[in-house]
Amino acid sequence: MICVTDPVCEQLTELQLTLGEGPCGDVLSSAAPVLAADLGDEQSTRRWPVFAAQACLLGAGAVFAFPLTIGAIRAGVMGLYRGSPGPLPAGCLGDALILADMATVLLLDGLGNGADGQGADGSAATGPVVDGQSPDLAVHRAEIDQATGMLTVQLGVPVAEAFARLRAYAYAHDRRLADVASDIVGRRLRLQGDPGRDGGP
Amino acid sequence: MDAELLSDTFVDLADTMVADFDVIDFLHMLTDRSVRLLSASAAGVLLADPRGQLRVAAASSDAAGLVELFQIQNDQGPCLDCFRSGQPVTAAGLAGPDQRWPRFAAAATQAGFGAVHALPMRLRKQVIGALNLFSADPGRFGAADLRIGQALADVATIGLLQERNVRRAETLAEQLQAALNSRVVIEQAKGKMAERLGLDMDRAFALLRDQARNTNQRLTDVARHVIDSPTADFPAPPHGQARLGGEVAPGG
Repeated sequence: MICVTDPVCEQLTELQLTLGEGPCGDVLSSAAPVLAADLGDEQSTRRWPVFAAQACLLGAGAVFAFPLTIGAIRAGVMGLYRGSPGPLPAGCLGDALILADMATVLLLDGLGNGADGQGADGSAATGPVVDGQSPDLAVHRAEIDQATGMLTVQLGVPVAEAFARLRAYAYAHDRRLADVASDIVGRRLRLQGDPGRDGGP
Repeated sequence: MDAELLSDTFVDLADTMVADFDVIDFLHMLTDRSVRLLSASAAGVLLADPRGQLRVAAASSDAAGLVELFQIQNDQGPCLDCFRSGQPVTAAGLAGPDQRWPRFAAAATQAGFGAVHALPMRLRKQVIGALNLFSADPGRFGAADLRIGQALADVATIGLLQERNVRRAETLAEQLQAALNSRVVIEQAKGKMAERLGLDMDRAFALLRDQARNTNQRLTDVARHVIDSPTADFPAPPHGQARLGGEVAPGG
């Protein structure tokens, strides 16, 4: 647990850790969102017999949990709750997914920052933002994922770090992530295994 | 039209309840069969992401021009119009002046395509994506081909939603996100295989798929294993087989 916004949220998180059941655990295993619009309905009570009842007692009517993942990269889970039952309003699902993407990238940035010597004081939140854009994974290109996979071999690092290093390189060279990825996939660019060497000339 | 291949395809597409069913593998089969049955040059399935983008779930090839065409369609193109309207959209002649989607038409021509058909993937009133069929030659598909194309798109929609009776909108959203994330896992694994073994992306994908078939595992699980394993654990490519693709049903 890294951050909670209120006591109910904290209790819900602890409850899931204690019980070993709940939406957040299911998100980790399925790598997909779990959207429980009514913790009192049959589906929720069948799925989480203890958690659903306890969560209702704590004052939660609905829980929406989102994976902080990029493919095989798993950075965590983002859980939202609401006091009254009901689905996420139209449009909110997309917003929640975008927030989850941003949270994922910020969590991962700590991994790549070592290469650039930034972020030692936790300043990753203002880290790699290319072209004034947020790390917009919504505009998703397969090449970014393919380049990430290639970097696991070139750099000899796990996939989460490979992605962070890809972003750190783009930031350090003031280039768009998609363009750097395209060069790597096109084999016009290789990154070096030594962390000190790809941060800049 | 190959009638035997057509009936085999519908049998295969209906076979989604098996233990090793993998949604991305399934959508790839759909694009491969669409190409063969409908004499298309290339095919792709795009799904709507709630973040507001169309994303490629499967494509018959990784050819650079084709990938670019899918990207452009987040701004303009027959697939976007098809997705928004829920109706089939055809661009029968992509060369020449006065194109409805100038950027798309120019890129399509550049990539060697003369026509494209976009067929909606609908679940009741909701459009979840579209099947794109590209042809090298300009011109419309015949009515019979379009009906078959739409039937393939319909079957794919059902297969994609692994619960047959998706009553909750939430379940649909959960399953679409799971499919899109699977796609990302596979792309990451393709990149690792391609780099490690010196292959192009199409060949890396064929290798992943062969391995899934040969070991009765889900494609996504094989891909996840590849990306999580130490690089040194990689299998050598089976000699000369990677490109053949295990797509043709044995004895078919």
